[in-house]
Amino acid sequence: MPETRADNVLMQKVRDGDLAKMAVLFERHHRALFRYFLRLSGNREFSEDLVQDVYFRMLKYRHSYRDGNPFTSWMYQVARNAHLDGVQKRKGEAPLFEQSMQEPASAAPDPSEILRRRQDLGLLRRALAALPVEKREVLVLSRFQNLKYQQIADILACDVGTVKVRVYRAIKALSQIFFELAGEKAS
Amino acid sequence: MTCDRVKEHIADYLAGALSRTEAEELDEHFARCAACKQEAAALSETWEMLGLLEQEQPSAQLRPRFYQSLEAYRQGLESAAPTPARRRFFDWGAGGWAASPAFRVAWSAALLIVGIIAGIGAGQWLAGRERGRADLAGLQDEVHHMRQLVTLSLLEQQSASERLRGVDYSSRVDQSDTQVLSALLHAVNHDPNVNVRLAAVDALRKFAGSPSVKGTIDQSLSKQESPLVQLALIDFIVDSRDKTAVSSLAALERSPTADKNVKEKALWGLSQLQ
Repeated sequence: MPETRADNVLMQKVRDGDLAKMAVLFERHHRALFRYFLRLSGNREFSEDLVQDVYFRMLKYRHSYRDGNPFTSWMYQVARNAHLDGVQKRKGEAPLFEQSMQEPASAAPDPSEILRRRQDLGLLRRALAALPVEKREVLVLSRFQNLKYQQIADILACDVGTVKVRVYRAIKALSQIFFELAGEKAS
Repeated sequence: MTCDRVKEHIADYLAGALSRTEAEELDEHFARCAACKQEAAALSETWEMLGLLEQEQPSAQLRPRFYQSLEAYRQGLESAAPTPARRRFFDWGAGGWAASPAFRVAWSAALLIVGIIAGIGAGQWLAGRERGRADLAGLQDEVHHMRQLVTLSLLEQQSASERLRGVDYSSRVDQSDTQVLSALLHAVNHDPNVNVRLAAVDALRKFAGSPSVKGTIDQSLSKQESPLVQLALIDFIVDSRDKTAVSSLAALERSPTADKNVKEKALWGLSQLQ
C-alpha cells in the first residue's frame, strides 16, 4: 500500500476510535512537521510545541476527517492553523527568528570552499527569515516538505497555477534578498 | 514561448516537473533570451542551495511528550465514556454519593495530585529540578488541554446523555477557559434537551464571575421556553448578583405568556436585586 494511502487508512481508524494509530502517524510525520514549523518560525521550542498542538488538534477534530481526503494535505491544513494561532498568541513578544536564527560566527577570512559555502548558507537562512511569511511558507512547502504543487494548492485552498506563480515570486524575492545580503557582506 | 509564459513555468522547471515539450520550448526560449536564461539560472542556484540547508531534528523530549499526551487523552476519553458499570455507579440515585459535589471535588483533587506527582517524577528524571518545574507546568497544561478537548468533544455529541456528560466534565477545566465557557453558554441557549440546558446553567456557576456570563445570561432568559430552565436562570442571576439582568427579569414578570411560577420567581428575583 502506498504510504499516502496507508496514512489515509490510519487516520480513518483514528477517527473511528482507534486512537493508538495516531502514534504511527506521529512516527511518520512529526519530523517533517517539526521542520515545517522550524523553517517558518526559526524557533525550535515553538516548533515542538506546535507539533504537539497539531496532534492534539487532529485528535480533537478527527471526526472532521473525511474518507478520500488526502491525509497529508489535511495535516498541513491543521498545521497552518496551529501556526497562525501560535503566532497570534505570541503577539507582543520578541520575534521568533531573532531568538535563534543568528548568522554563523565565523567572520574570519578563510579561502576554503567549505567556509564560503557555510557563509552562503548562513546568508540564505537570513534571507529566508527576512522573507514575508506567506512567501516563506510556499517555499517551505514546495522545497522542504517535498509536496507536489497540487497538494500545496489543496493546503492553501487555491488553484495549482496560483501556487506556481507564488513559488516563482517567492524564490525570486529570496534570491534578491540573498544577493543583497551577499553584496553587503562583500562590500 | 514568451517571457511571461516562461515565468509561469519556472516553478515546474525548478521542481523538475516540466513535460518534455515544455522543457524543449523553455530551452528554445533561453537560446534566444539572455535575460530569462540568466534569471532562471540565478533562481535555480538559490533553489539548489535551499536543499543544502541542514535537516534539523526535534529534541529527544518531543516523542515522550507526545506519547504522554496521547495516553492522557485516551484515558480522559475512557474515563468520560459510559460503560455499563460506570453508568450504574453514577446513576445510583441523583443524590448518591458518587454524584455528590464532595465526591467530585475529592476525585478531581486526587487526579490533580496524581498528575502533580507524575509530573514532578518525570521532570526530575528527565533533567533535574529546574527542568522538572518546566515539565510540570507543561504537563499541567496538557492535562488541562486534554480535559478541555474531552469536554468540548462531549458537548458536540448527538446523544443528549453524552452532552450531559460533557457538561459534567466541564467542572474539571479551569474557570478561565473561554472555549468551554462559550460551549456551555451555547448549550444553555441552544441545546434542544432541557436536562442538558439545566445542567449547563448549573455548570456555569463556576464561571459566574466572568463578564461574558453576566452579559449573556439575561439574554438567555428571554430565549428560554422551558419554565424549569427559566427558574434555574433566575436563581443563577440572583446568586451571582447580576444587576444587568434586572430589565430582563422585569420583562419576564410582565410577560402575558410566561408561566405563573416563573413570573412569581422573576418578581422575587427583582426584589432580591434591589
